[in-house]
Amino acid sequence: MNENLFASFITPMMLGLPLVTLIVLFPSLLFPTSNRLINNRLISLQQWILQLVSKQMMSIHNTKGQTWTLMLMSLILFIGSTNLLGLLPHSFTPTTQLSMNLGMAIPLWAGAVITGFRNKTKASLAHFLPQGTPTPLIPMLVIIETISLFIQPVALAVRLTANITAGHLLIHLIGGATLALMNINITTALITFIILILLTILEFAVAMIQAYVFTLLVSLYLHDNT
Amino acid sequence: MPQLDTSTWLTMIMSMFLVLFIIFQLKISKHNFYHNPELMTTKAPKQNTPWETKWTKIYLPLLLPL
Repeated sequence: MNENLFASFITPMMLGLPLVTLIVLFPSLLFPTSNRLINNRLISLQQWILQLVSKQMMSIHNTKGQTWTLMLMSLILFIGSTNLLGLLPHSFTPTTQLSMNLGMAIPLWAGAVITGFRNKTKASLAHFLPQGTPTPLIPMLVIIETISLFIQPVALAVRLTANITAGHLLIHLIGGATLALMNINITTALITFIILILLTILEFAVAMIQAYVFTLLVSLYLHDNT
Repeated sequence: MPQLDTSTWLTMIMSMFLVLFIIFQLKISKHNFYHNPELMTTKAPKQNTPWETKWTKIYLPLLLPL
């Protein structure tokens, strides 16, 4: 059963050819480029959503931080669309791969931290010591703050991976349980089916929330460092 | 856990780089966020009549300080 359960998380390769690249490219097909002054409904809707999200997320940053708007907006659209597409049956969700999430989290976090170091060295080093700590505690606290800084990219990646993977696994398990229970006792199967429906609604929410959280945290790290 | 099989990690990261950093950003950068059209004041500039270009004492008799 272990083999079957995790089978949907294997990176899709066809005879050594990377099929996964096409799968990762697919969400970008759903965001058409805007070519004209007045666009069709789909593009206008996406533009409206983009404006809403960018106003919500980027208004806290100063001028220097707002240069990251394009990066963060494409990040939230990418993670959101990938997660939502992964809820279709038998689809592969790239954000369940730890490799991809690490590849997203580490460069973005490192970019924010290095920007802070280069431009505001004293202020970014001062983050290692919270205000008002008693003097004997200072060495220990600096060590703890350093560890918490270096754990940020790992936490970002693992949080996204674990949430999406766990959600997909639960859907598989409960769906399998509903199917097995249908021959034994219809009422229990119905209850399990309702649980499945509720879980799917939760997964829709989780898909979008995880995108939001990832982008929000990167934006927070940026805010600390610009 | 199949996510920990590092043989596919390079492919995964490369495809993600391509999509996230290049394609999505190109698509989003093409969006035009134009301002809403605003009212402009339509007062035409005052045109001077030929006798107003040169002031003469007789032109404004009522304004003479008498």
